[in-house]
Amino acid sequence: MTLPDLPQMDVDPPNPSMFRNLSVVWLVPLLALLISFGVAWKSYSDRGVLITITLPDAAGVTARDTVLKFREVVIGNVESVRFAPDFKNVVVSARIDRTVADILPADAEFWVVQPNVSASGVTGLSTVLSGVYIEGAFIPTSGSTARNFLGLPTPPMVRPGREGTTITLRSDDGSHLPKGGPVLFHGIEVGRLDVPRLSTDGDSALVEAFINAPYDKFLTTATRFWNTSGFSVKLGPDGINMSVASLGSLLNGGVAFDTTFTGGQAIAGETVFTLFPDETAARQSIYTKIGDNALAMAVIFDGSVNGLQAGAPVEYLGLRVGQVTGISAFIDTDAAGKDTVKVRAAIEVDPQALGLDADTGEDETLSFLQDAVAKGMRARLTTTSLFSSALKIELVDLPDEPATVLTKDDDDIPILPSVASNLPDFTATAEGVFKRINALPIEDVMDHAVSLMASIEAVASSDGVQKTPDALVKLLNDAQALVNSEDTQALPGEIRGVVDGLNKILADLQQQQAVNKLVSVLENADKTASDLANASKDFPALVADLRDVAGKAKALKAEDLIASATQVLDTANALIGTDAAKALPADLSQALAEIQAALQELREGGAVANTNAALAAAKDAANAVSAATGDLPKITSDIEDVIAKANALVASYGPNSAFNTKTLDLLRELQAAAKAITQLAKSIERKPNSLLIGR
Amino acid sequence: MANAGIPRRAPLTARAAGLVACHECGRVHPLGFTTCLRCGAALSSRDPFSLQKVWAWWLVGLMVYIPANLYPMLVTTSLGKTSENTLLGGVIELVHIGSYGVAGIVFFASIMIPIGKMFAIPYLAIKVARPDSRSAHLRHWLFEVVEFIGRWSMVDVFVVAILSSLVQLGGVVSIKPGFAALCFALSVAFTMLAAISFDSRLIWDADKGNAE
Repeated sequence: MTLPDLPQMDVDPPNPSMFRNLSVVWLVPLLALLISFGVAWKSYSDRGVLITITLPDAAGVTARDTVLKFREVVIGNVESVRFAPDFKNVVVSARIDRTVADILPADAEFWVVQPNVSASGVTGLSTVLSGVYIEGAFIPTSGSTARNFLGLPTPPMVRPGREGTTITLRSDDGSHLPKGGPVLFHGIEVGRLDVPRLSTDGDSALVEAFINAPYDKFLTTATRFWNTSGFSVKLGPDGINMSVASLGSLLNGGVAFDTTFTGGQAIAGETVFTLFPDETAARQSIYTKIGDNALAMAVIFDGSVNGLQAGAPVEYLGLRVGQVTGISAFIDTDAAGKDTVKVRAAIEVDPQALGLDADTGEDETLSFLQDAVAKGMRARLTTTSLFSSALKIELVDLPDEPATVLTKDDDDIPILPSVASNLPDFTATAEGVFKRINALPIEDVMDHAVSLMASIEAVASSDGVQKTPDALVKLLNDAQALVNSEDTQALPGEIRGVVDGLNKILADLQQQQAVNKLVSVLENADKTASDLANASKDFPALVADLRDVAGKAKALKAEDLIASATQVLDTANALIGTDAAKALPADLSQALAEIQAALQELREGGAVANTNAALAAAKDAANAVSAATGDLPKITSDIEDVIAKANALVASYGPNSAFNTKTLDLLRELQAAAKAITQLAKSIERKPNSLLIGR
Repeated sequence: MANAGIPRRAPLTARAAGLVACHECGRVHPLGFTTCLRCGAALSSRDPFSLQKVWAWWLVGLMVYIPANLYPMLVTTSLGKTSENTLLGGVIELVHIGSYGVAGIVFFASIMIPIGKMFAIPYLAIKVARPDSRSAHLRHWLFEVVEFIGRWSMVDVFVVAILSSLVQLGGVVSIKPGFAALCFALSVAFTMLAAISFDSRLIWDADKGNAE
């Protein structure tokens, strides 16, 4: 079998047109190519801009993984980490978003964010898991071309672009000013401290503080800053004052501020605030800040200035007008060629605090002070308070001082003339005060008070006084017998009238109880009365003493107060214990005996004239007793006054100190004693005769 | 044997016999028909655009195969740390951790086969233009292999797809397919298209031409 002879099929010759021969499938690679080019172009154009950041070390920074963030948004990532040519730094190359690169100013700050645990908080915790990242902070500036940046070793205190105000604090001691320490305002953290640094002249520590908006609007010229580091315990005239700030500032230190007086003006530009060591100092510095136009002066003292420190106030009429800026000693050679060491205190005086305009120039201030010195202004050292050995310089007007003028020293610094200070006051330190308080004879006072009360009781309960009523009854019986007797009735009408009067008096006495009866009867009562008058003379003295005590207590002379109180009690004791008082009952008995004798005489006739005279004398005596007892309430009120004042004094020491407790106890005792005296006085007033009859 | 006396020559083809077979249903028509009498499909004795299609698909496959190797295949995020693995990187990592068997399979399926296809397809296309009778049998076998094995290259893509859908444990571990997975899948698809587009009858023609 052969193959069929099939006609050869005409196969279309290839189309001469190359394009017509192309398959549509070629569109696919073409499309892929286009897409590839498109993607390539896009990724190229989107490709970040390479920047370099020079860091001291690249802690945790790894190529590709570490990202760059701005406001917590990723703006790029690290491409490579390598050393700087000198191997002193690490250069991190990072590719960042093109749009960000265009607004990246040359002063953009970069730093590595790492987890940080400190007393004031935990930061960067997220980096524990995700690894560190590089944070950037800058103020967007369009058209930036900067590509090389210097990284920060640590996060900056203030990120560029953050709203707020940067101020500078000046402090003598920077040890309690840690970097990043909090700035508190009414206990709320409103800002942070930067790293403290020394001032260029080296005489103070400066630290920048950043106060976040909107709290920075509370910063005025009236704002005072103080150190809140740790806690402070202060004993002063206000009592014991302990203050503890936040735990963070306790561990870390920190500063707080507040507006200490009204009328401050908003601050503008770079402002330097003085950092006070504590809140009290800050609040007491009610003068405005030492302005730039403060006048630098010096005061030369002959004696010791132990207790005077830089920063101590310079006061005029009790107002702070400046401060001591430094103390130095120098050798002064007088005309006779003798060398003496003198102390030179450099001070600066704020013209505004002196009442001059805030922008007064130095020359004007100087001429003002020249006038003042010519009129007698002098500098003098005084203690800042009773409880402090710290000294301050006081400007006093002493017109009687020998005339002098403001001189200038070799450095053209005006020298303010000084006068000798009240040095004995220097010893009035808190320690001395407490020693004196310790030495106060409190026990003695109490002993005296107790013995006073005992004496009063002894007088009241003495046998003589107790016996008096019996004698009195007998006397009255006798008197009655006398009146009823025929002899008496037989007396001439005049005498009868007298006896009637006597009878009436006796009736009155019976009504008003014993004393008037007594005093209206007898001549010998005169003696008693005079004794009483003597006694009553002592009462005003007692009152005067107590007033004196009150006055002294007012003057805070605690020592004298106690001494006076003792004296008062002594006097009272002495009064009660006087022979006259002790002899009173005996005298009374004697008097009654004599009355009896007199009645006997009366009974026997005659001596009616004597009776009249006796009645007059007895009335006088009664009046004297009355006057004496009238003073008693006043004594009581005076004692109460003293106690109230002493109480106030003690209260001002602040509650709960051991000293206070003891003093209060003492005063309570005194108060109790005073109450007893008052009660005694009241009962004497109610029953004046009880002094005489013991009831 | 009817053909026993026929001197040795190239195998008889349908075209040489004046016939054309329908690609869809297999009915044979005499040459000259342009549509199949049975199913209506277009008839052509040889696909004139076959080689063009092969080259075009192969080119696209090659284009996407480049990013498939450069970009990460798997993006593994574990405890905030992200690691990315390319195809070859993954194989090397497997070798490093000692899984030689798995490394071998991945290397074979994801690298050897695609690259082999990348060479095999142009080789076949070139040999159609410049016939070489000695390798005719090899080329037929090669074509069969390429066409058969193409789909197995998708194993890698499936692994990525399964892993990324299973391992989604939030912040602890999560796996996402990288850009390379897409490219690789496309590359496999395009090379398969290239293999399918190859009209194997061209190999016969080339052999025949060579024999004459």
